[in-house]
Amino acid sequence: MFTNWRKKKSEQSVKSDMLNKQRRYDSLVRALHKDIFRYAFWLCGDKQVAEDITQETFLRAWKSLDSLKDEKAAKAWLITILRRENARRFERKQFDYSDVEQDTLADSYSPSTEEHAEQYLIRRHISRLEPEYREPLVLQIIGGFSGDEIAEMLELNRNTVMTRLFRARNQLKDALESAEIRGQSNG
Amino acid sequence: MDELEFRRRAYADPQSRDDDFIQASEETPERQQFLKDLNKLDAKLEQAMSLDVPDDLADKLLLNQQLSNHRQQKKTVSFMMAMAASVAMVLGVGYATWRMAPIELSEHAIAHVLHEPKALSAHGDISFNQINAQLASLKGFNDKGFSSQPGQIFYSTYCDFQGVRSLHLVMQGENGKVTLFIVPTEERMALESQFADNHFKGLGFSKGDAFLLLVGENQQDLQFARQELDQSFI
Repeated sequence: MFTNWRKKKSEQSVKSDMLNKQRRYDSLVRALHKDIFRYAFWLCGDKQVAEDITQETFLRAWKSLDSLKDEKAAKAWLITILRRENARRFERKQFDYSDVEQDTLADSYSPSTEEHAEQYLIRRHISRLEPEYREPLVLQIIGGFSGDEIAEMLELNRNTVMTRLFRARNQLKDALESAEIRGQSNG
Repeated sequence: MDELEFRRRAYADPQSRDDDFIQASEETPERQQFLKDLNKLDAKLEQAMSLDVPDDLADKLLLNQQLSNHRQQKKTVSFMMAMAASVAMVLGVGYATWRMAPIELSEHAIAHVLHEPKALSAHGDISFNQINAQLASLKGFNDKGFSSQPGQIFYSTYCDFQGVRSLHLVMQGENGKVTLFIVPTEERMALESQFADNHFKGLGFSKGDAFLLLVGENQQDLQFARQELDQSFI
């Protein structure tokens, strides 16, 4: 009796509503899961944890998908959810992933060729940045957000964000250049 | 824009599209070179940040959502089942209690008279054949009824004695009007032969398979009506 009833219910107008929601969710996942996963990775520094947070984020997004009115704001909306999920992780248990020495970054490339070696090096430097510098930089470069948008997402004022972006690039540039110099002198 | 400000802005956002920034960057070739280097750095950073995403991540995300959706649906259904079951149980128990409760006929009869004052002020003249026709639809009254006219009958209607369909008549007593209820007998009914409240007096007796209740203002009227019934009601 209840299976009949369920079938009937899904066959009526509810069906098209659900289908619509499902389609929206599908396209949201396909369009944004890469950015969200990468952002999660740079937030926590661990691929497995990043995958978990991404799962949590999208699940939560599904539950409150109706509250997303503007599709253009979807990425910022997801990132806001993601940051909350990440914060929740620290409430739950005190595994302080980002304090773990991140020199041993997971890397699927083999650092054999010179280009990959450089990339590996850059990743190491990025992960060594203070989180408060790294986060806006990742948002700017991967997310493509403007200073104002980043300020809104991180609940900071715009000048603070611009200063942190300045320092982040400055530190990275210094680090990479000194590495080059060292490399040259060694060679 | 001075050099320091330019460099600050360039470091913060080398791809800025602000007019004054673009203008400033075009002022000297050094600045252009500086910006080019920064953009090169950004390109490298972007490459480095864009680490491989597991191929099946999107599918995993969708699967996860479907599963949680399914769970939710199952939960809703079992909740509905529980709700339906408890509603059904409350209805069942309530109905049974209501059906099984003894019916205090005398109290009910007086209450009924009080609640239907229009019955006592009615001035119809209803023949006993009509009343027999009404009686025929009550339970167990197929071959029973009045054999002759029991005086004038002013009012006749069906009424409800706690779920038992009965007949409500108003007939002429010796002086005043008397209300008569004809109720099919049921086991749970409690009949008192005499009852009264401040205003009304009542008589109850059974005849054949029916309980008859008379309610009137004085005893003579009741006795008169009872005699009438003894003669005419079979």
